[in-house]
Amino acid sequence: MRYGTSRKTPTVGQWLIGLCLFLTAWLHGVAVQAADILLIGSEESPGVQSFVQALSELRPTDRVRFQPLASLPAPGKLPASLRLILLDLPSLDWRLKESQGPATLVLRISRLQAQQRLAGAQPAHLSLLWSDPPLSRQLQLIRRILPQARRVGVLFDQHSEFMLKELHLAASPFHLEIVGQRWDNTQDSRPLQAVLKNSDVLLGLDDPDLYNPKTAKNLLLSSYSRQLALVGPNAAFVRAGSLASTYSDQRDWLAILDDLLDRPPASWPRSLYPGRFKVLSNAQVARSLSIEPIDEVSVATELAEGERHP
Amino acid sequence: MSLGPSSTRSSLLLALLFSPALLADDLFLESESLPQVLTATRLKQTPAEVPGSMTVLDSELINASGARDISELLRLVPGMMVGNISGNQAAVNYHGTNASEARRMQVLIDGRSVYRAGLATVDWSDIPVAMEDIERIEVFRGPNTVSYGANALMAVVNIITRHPADSHGTRLKITRGERGINDFYASQGLGWNGGDLRLSLSGQEDDGFDSDRNGADYRDSRRLNRFSLAVSQALSDNQSLDWQIDAKDGTNQRPYTYHPVFSGITAAGNNSDVIAKDYAGSVRWNLDVNPDHSLYIQGSAQHWDRQQVWRACDAEVSFSPQLTQLWQLNPNYTERLARNMPRFAGPGAPPGTAAEMALANQVLDQWRNGASQTLCGDIDQSTRESRYDLELQDTLSLSDSLRLVSGMNYRYDRADSETYFNGTLDDTTWRAFGQLEWRASEHWLLQGGAMYEDTRLIGSSLTPRFAVNYLINPRHSLRAVYSEAIRSPDMFENNVNWSYQVTNLQPAAFGQSSARYFVKTRGPGDLDQEHIRSRELGYNGYFAELGLALDVKLFYDEISGMISEPLRNNQYIASNANNSRFRGTESQLDWRLSQIDRLRLTYAFVDAEASNPLDQQFSARNSGSAGWLRDWGHGWNSALFYYGDNALNGYRFERVDTRIAKRIPLGKAHLQLAGVLQQRLDHQPTTFVDNNYDERRVMYFSAELEF
Repeated sequence: MRYGTSRKTPTVGQWLIGLCLFLTAWLHGVAVQAADILLIGSEESPGVQSFVQALSELRPTDRVRFQPLASLPAPGKLPASLRLILLDLPSLDWRLKESQGPATLVLRISRLQAQQRLAGAQPAHLSLLWSDPPLSRQLQLIRRILPQARRVGVLFDQHSEFMLKELHLAASPFHLEIVGQRWDNTQDSRPLQAVLKNSDVLLGLDDPDLYNPKTAKNLLLSSYSRQLALVGPNAAFVRAGSLASTYSDQRDWLAILDDLLDRPPASWPRSLYPGRFKVLSNAQVARSLSIEPIDEVSVATELAEGERHP
Repeated sequence: MSLGPSSTRSSLLLALLFSPALLADDLFLESESLPQVLTATRLKQTPAEVPGSMTVLDSELINASGARDISELLRLVPGMMVGNISGNQAAVNYHGTNASEARRMQVLIDGRSVYRAGLATVDWSDIPVAMEDIERIEVFRGPNTVSYGANALMAVVNIITRHPADSHGTRLKITRGERGINDFYASQGLGWNGGDLRLSLSGQEDDGFDSDRNGADYRDSRRLNRFSLAVSQALSDNQSLDWQIDAKDGTNQRPYTYHPVFSGITAAGNNSDVIAKDYAGSVRWNLDVNPDHSLYIQGSAQHWDRQQVWRACDAEVSFSPQLTQLWQLNPNYTERLARNMPRFAGPGAPPGTAAEMALANQVLDQWRNGASQTLCGDIDQSTRESRYDLELQDTLSLSDSLRLVSGMNYRYDRADSETYFNGTLDDTTWRAFGQLEWRASEHWLLQGGAMYEDTRLIGSSLTPRFAVNYLINPRHSLRAVYSEAIRSPDMFENNVNWSYQVTNLQPAAFGQSSARYFVKTRGPGDLDQEHIRSRELGYNGYFAELGLALDVKLFYDEISGMISEPLRNNQYIASNANNSRFRGTESQLDWRLSQIDRLRLTYAFVDAEASNPLDQQFSARNSGSAGWLRDWGHGWNSALFYYGDNALNGYRFERVDTRIAKRIPLGKAHLQLAGVLQQRLDHQPTTFVDNNYDERRVMYFSAELEF
């Protein structure tokens, strides 16, 4: 009986499915037509080389190549079919000289750097892929690993101040209170003391004026001496003594790029936080703060699910 | 989100991250070299992991208590017995022993031991540290010579001052109140590239207690000034240097307490005040060899100067060479004679050996021939004590679950006093210590260590310590601790050579304006260390969802070879003949009910039993404290504390302290106004019969400007 059924003429539905499959295959064929991908940076470091190599392996049908910034003409002189991937700020500066030119993905740019360069504008020819973790994700991480924390201390300066409003908005669904504290002179530790005094956890913004190798010691030792955890601002800080942070590494970015490059440039978002990320925690710091060991994989999975079904 | 990253991949990634060479290869991970700050050697144990009982008095609590003295703060520590010998002499001991000599506790300021080199006591009021400079006080309740060195017999009080990097800006504070309270504090902190500094000046004044047992004015006020400079300087990424200089200068009033030995003497001096100066300096060099290995070398020098010259009056015969000889033959016989001269003046010397009676009759002849006249002269009871200390401590994290702390210490103590030591006496101490912390599994933490100490005057000793913590989870643990500790007798107890050379005698004694008083006391010179064996079972837990921290312990401590004889110059015969035993329970609860309320309770039940009744005097059977701190918003804060001891040296102590404070922003500055009211609930003297206040209530106010 079952064999008999399969020999029947196809129904309308089956015709439609077949058509869809054909169209998808055709569209895909268009997309996989060899694209010309040009990565641009001021210099070709070993890190850049390995990234270009990894991307070209991921997209064997595309022509993936790197060219140093110095060797390039003005952006408007490049063919419009090209896809540009910018790897550093000098190349962004170069790209910003002209709005003409190929569609461009900007990697390794933080919100703060974009604010300084673009003053809040998001040019139509650029797709900014944020290097810093989204604030709501970091807040969600706090909720997950420090469920008792209510007051989230945040240090900022004149450059990072613009993120505060967004932070307040992001905090309200989690019932977290943002305790903002301006810190313009990092050699004066009073603002740091003040924010530690009034918070349950410190959230680090990716602001290199505040979070850098010079301030790391004071920040981490002061917060630790008050038995307060620092969350963020990035993976390197976790290694130095921050409790945890979400982050995206090269592997995540390659997957994100692969997805974007499959799509027509017209559908690229003006800006994007990485949808793929991991959680990194410092087990020794967690233990010393009486916090249960953090299962990085399951926490990352939970956060991702939380973002999909807020 | 990466699709199904396996845990091996995550740990591989972690390994990659922790290797800086590979870190640089990932374009998206910060390649800037960031030092590992919170290294395995810098991270501390959690409360649940501590191999013993610990009470931490944090800055919020210190501030809210309104206390003007470190000793007063220690009332917040369960089992700590806090009393007063006089208004400017606190007596603090853990669990008890003698009320007038608290010598069995180690007290450290930033790792520097501050008990006096010669007399092994702690002059709490003279410690050259202002309350405002204290970041927190960690009290280790139990013996711990392994970590803190000799004298950590019953407990360790570790006073940690605010780090210069946390003290930036200017603070000015004045406190005024009843009972002559008049304090000030001023500090300036600043930072530069890689360094920080804090300079503070402070002063304290009050009248002490109001009246003695007879209702007369009690002479026990104090007046002091302090100077403190702390500097921290980073030398490189892995090296830093911290140094401090502290000084204190002040006057402590003492009543005239000399009672003439001979009858018929009515003239008297009016005080025996002390000018007390303390100086201390220390340097610590910290080196992080790598994230798993760090060490420090700390050198310190301290000097205690107690100038105490007072005028005393007694009969001329006090300076009789024959009476001095007789004292050396038989102090009991001599005392009986001396106190009853008029009675023996007629019938002649009381019965004794021939030599004793012959000398006694010569003394009686002198008495009859005018040596009963009153003489007054200056007694110099000054002491100068110095200590030089050098310590090396090494912390090595052998693996994720094994940590070794070891070190060596050299100490040189010197005491200089004509009266107590007939000149100068010194001692050297060598010490080596090691403690291993082994996390056997997720739940079991084993810690053990030992200290070897050798002092030139006393000899050597080895003390072990073991603790097992069972961690139910990272926040809750059960513990069992066995420890031994020793206390070396101080120079005074063992080597006292006590006699008074009285100067400026008027009229002259037997033709001399300077003469030696007949009483002379010598220490035995062969005392052994006191030895404690301590057993403890405890629970420590933190209920994060409630914000509640709890610690409960049961203890059984035995001290043997105890030196209990009071330090008196007539017939001081010290021995190791005594022993005592303390058993009971202690608990402390710290509950942050909400962001604005904090509740804190402590209670101790101590059952003390001692072969010398004096050693039972300073143990309150029931003692404790209760505190409620609240932040009312709009800058208003309040704190309410209750302290109670059912009997300290026989007297009940109950007091309620209230502090209300208002913080007012003034542009970039802050002004804090606070009022403290302390109300005694009992009607008894404080610790000793002469310590009485006219009013059971005292109020004082402070204003502090911070900018």
